[in-house]
Amino acid sequence: MRNILQKEMRLSASILSYLFIPFGLMFLLPGYPILCGPFFVTLGIFQSFQSAREANDIVFSALLPIAKKDIVKGKYLFVCLIEGCALLLMAVAVCLRMTMLSQSAVYRSNALMNANFFALGMACVIFGLFNLIFVGGFFQTAYKFGRPFVTFIIACFLVIFMAEALHHIPGLEKLNAFGTDEIVLQLLLLVAGMLIFLLTTVLSCRRACRQFEKIDL
Amino acid sequence: MVVAEVQDLVKTYPSFALKDVSFGLESGRITGFIGRNGAGKTTTIKSMLNMIHPDGGTVQYFGEPFAGNEADIKKRIGYSTGTVSWYPRKKIREIVKIVKSFYDTWDEDAYQKYLSLFAIDDTKTPLELSDGMKVKVNLMLALAHKAEVLILDEPTSGLDPFSRNELLNLFTDLRNTGVTIFFSTHIISDIEKCADDIVYISKGSIVAALPKADFMQQFSLSGESLEDTMLRLEGEAIHA
Repeated sequence: MRNILQKEMRLSASILSYLFIPFGLMFLLPGYPILCGPFFVTLGIFQSFQSAREANDIVFSALLPIAKKDIVKGKYLFVCLIEGCALLLMAVAVCLRMTMLSQSAVYRSNALMNANFFALGMACVIFGLFNLIFVGGFFQTAYKFGRPFVTFIIACFLVIFMAEALHHIPGLEKLNAFGTDEIVLQLLLLVAGMLIFLLTTVLSCRRACRQFEKIDL
Repeated sequence: MVVAEVQDLVKTYPSFALKDVSFGLESGRITGFIGRNGAGKTTTIKSMLNMIHPDGGTVQYFGEPFAGNEADIKKRIGYSTGTVSWYPRKKIREIVKIVKSFYDTWDEDAYQKYLSLFAIDDTKTPLELSDGMKVKVNLMLALAHKAEVLILDEPTSGLDPFSRNELLNLFTDLRNTGVTIFFSTHIISDIEKCADDIVYISKGSIVAALPKADFMQQFSLSGESLEDTMLRLEGEAIHA
């Protein structure tokens, strides 16, 4: 699997996939819908799928001495690697905002969502949806990605809108906790987000492997 | 010894069907796969490489079914086409660096030998190569990982007569080193020049899979060349 990942990173990937990882640091922006950060990261990954298609990457991979399903797993591995790097940056930003910057006026007076563990969990949900809708959708044909990406954009912005709106609903203010306030709830929500990411990614990958076997290249 | 065997391959599309395609490839021989455009050559080849999911039939290499042994079998075979290029803007050198990591049988000395023999500049990108050079790059990759069977889809299409001749001579040299070659073509003179065996496909069905001499004996009229025979057979097939 290591050589497949290497192939993805060095031959198939668009440079934009790497350049868009720092959008994870948008979690540091005050007065900005921070969940747009993960969306921009997925936009970078989308560029890799586009350039890979132009380079006949799938057919090239099918000729390598690997099973057909490993091509799918390699793509998921690459996507998860980029998402993991972005999540790491988001986690750093969240930790900074929860500790050193927790009393900062620009963040305290922020009308939009606060960067806390709940936000990080929601970023995991967005990446999970990307893997489920876009990557899984791409492997229905191994060629068409327009419709899966548009569907993902709609789902992603619904999630962003919902996440931004929730803490304004009476009783749900805790979702926007600052510093280490409501830390248990924050951690539970992060774990829930991570579980959703894992579940959607694994299910989508398994389905994509099955579907890809039937595709004529 | 049969190194590859296609048995009752069936694939149905709305406007075309492969019907019970069966043939075998003998070790250390060149088999020409001939048929007009749209006869089913590429569909058959892609089915042989699991790039197309056949509706029925089996493909075996070295006595093992391809299904379930895909990764191991692919290490022992090589594929090339002159019409498609991979990663057109990446340097050949970068592509090779990745490809060789997949093969434990990779022979760096052989790679360097063919790089120089084929006069390939590995700092170029596929976009900068002619179709003939692309075929050579694919052949070089296959030979560097010591492929025992080469499956080549229309390798001579689009090549000038000099490059074609050069490539066919190379096939003969490779055959003499024990490599099995299976190549599709619609150019009858390619078969005439270097093939030992002929697999003839028409409208998705195998008409004959025979050694060239037997094919001529069975289908040629007295004094007829292979080209004349093929043209007559295709003409008869159209009017049938």
